[in-house]
Amino acid sequence: MTKKFVAILIAVIISLSMVISASAYTYQYIEDPAGNLTYDEIEELEAYAEKIESTYGICIMLGIARDTDGMSDSEYAQKIYTDNTDNENGFILVHNDSESTYGMFTSGNAEEIFDEEAVSEMRDAYNSSNSYYGGISDYYKAAESLLASGETASDNAQAVTTDDDTSEEKDGVGIIWIPVSLGIGLLIGFLIINSIASKNKSVYMQKNATVYTRPGSMIITGSADNFLYSNVERREKPKQENKN
Amino acid sequence: MSTILEQKCPCCGGAVEFNTGVQKLKCPYCDTEFDITAMPEDTANQVEQISWNSQGSQWGAGETDGMSVYACNSCGGEIVADSTTGATTCPYCGNQVVMKGQFSGALRPDLVIPFKLDKKAAKEALKKHISTKKFVPKSFLADNRLEEVKGVYVPHWLFTCDAIGNANYKATKVKKWSDENYDYTETSYFDVYRSGNIGFDNIPVDGSTKMPDDLMESVEPFDLSQAVDFNTAYLAGYLADKYDVTAEESMPRANERIRQSIIDSFKETVKGYDEVENQSANMNVANGLYKYALYPVWLLSTKWNGENFTFAMNGQTGKFVGNIPTDKKAVTKASLLLGAGIGALIYGLLWLIELF
Repeated sequence: MTKKFVAILIAVIISLSMVISASAYTYQYIEDPAGNLTYDEIEELEAYAEKIESTYGICIMLGIARDTDGMSDSEYAQKIYTDNTDNENGFILVHNDSESTYGMFTSGNAEEIFDEEAVSEMRDAYNSSNSYYGGISDYYKAAESLLASGETASDNAQAVTTDDDTSEEKDGVGIIWIPVSLGIGLLIGFLIINSIASKNKSVYMQKNATVYTRPGSMIITGSADNFLYSNVERREKPKQENKN
Repeated sequence: MSTILEQKCPCCGGAVEFNTGVQKLKCPYCDTEFDITAMPEDTANQVEQISWNSQGSQWGAGETDGMSVYACNSCGGEIVADSTTGATTCPYCGNQVVMKGQFSGALRPDLVIPFKLDKKAAKEALKKHISTKKFVPKSFLADNRLEEVKGVYVPHWLFTCDAIGNANYKATKVKKWSDENYDYTETSYFDVYRSGNIGFDNIPVDGSTKMPDDLMESVEPFDLSQAVDFNTAYLAGYLADKYDVTAEESMPRANERIRQSIIDSFKETVKGYDEVENQSANMNVANGLYKYALYPVWLLSTKWNGENFTFAMNGQTGKFVGNIPTDKKAVTKASLLLGAGIGALIYGLLWLIELF
């Protein structure tokens, strides 16, 4: 009897501790102080979020808040984000459960992907399910989808640029630059050889008599430097195309 | 008939010559050396009046203009020279003779710079001069013949003065900067004025029409501190001319060089600008003096393809000048080869830049 009582007591304590830890423990990606998610659900979602971060380098967080400590939802979102990660590239959506409002914070490279339309899509995904777990799972799936499509677009852009570069190499370096290089080379070669050949001529009239100047005899008695006018020429800089 | 002067050896009676190695007169027959001052420059027994009468056909009117006839004291041979020849060699006996009248009275030079380098040095300098040049036709190297090597005392007028001048320059300053969209270049223009004095000592101007002016100016400068008072004994063994361009006729060339010196020297005081260009200059000369001097020059003549090439060496410092023909085909070939090589190098560098 005593043994059974001890076993039940231990099981209750463990169960309570798990619930308490699940609700009170601060995770990196999920902020759920109200305890809407179980320990296993949070663990699963955390693993998912970690996988996304390791794959794309973007930290995706979600917070469910009942009290924002007097801050606006967005300020609170920024506070949670900066308190939980050092990753400069990320996004967090905070759901104020008591007022049914949302706040968000985006930083670094995530700003390029999580624009207004994407954020709306994320929020819809979060609200798509009746349960917190289902909603948060959809939220992370939507995030992964957006990140994946963003990377594909970037890869495509890079691929297009590479194709352009290749065609430029073929057309520019291969064809245009051959006669240009040859022309410049011939000009330099002509100047060098003619400079050497010109040394065969060594008979010239002297230009001046400076070599016969009496040492220390030059005295400057008058000197004036008068500004006449100036003009400013403005030339537009050549625009550089952004490959991305 | 003109009078001629020969420097005779007091020991053996042979004609003595000025020796550059010992800087004395030396008898080539008995090797006796004499100081220049020990030789009487002009004595009664050395100067002879020789009269010759013309035989056969007579010179036509004007045919003898610019020509003088002398008789050699040693062999009596007739020496025909132009009116400016002051020292030469008898074509019959090889004795060195000086036409005394060419350097007497107002024609007497104030100074002479004795030869320091001999004929052998001049020949070696010619070989070195040709061998160090590039793109010389191979046939020139193989076939050019040294026709003549002669040491000549070339008459020069030396001008000394204090020049007072002023010059105007157009100067520009360029400033560049950029903003996000544009590159800006501001060019400021200035009128710069300088005036002052410069002293010049002994600017030489060639006083002989026989000598090409550019050749004589190319062998400058001479070190006048080694000049000595003129003595005909220094002329022994060399050719010499008296001047046939007067000091007055030489002054414009001296003035031209002085004027350019003022422009160039004053320009060096115009600082802080990116470009300085002379616009005008004025010059006056004060305390102008001139002297008459003989400068030692070795002249070497070669012949190639029927064309004469004249080289000159400063007989004091050894500075050697002379134009050498250029093989145009070799120049074109070398330009194309080097140009193609540089072009390939540039293209290779572009590829490397593209790769990295």
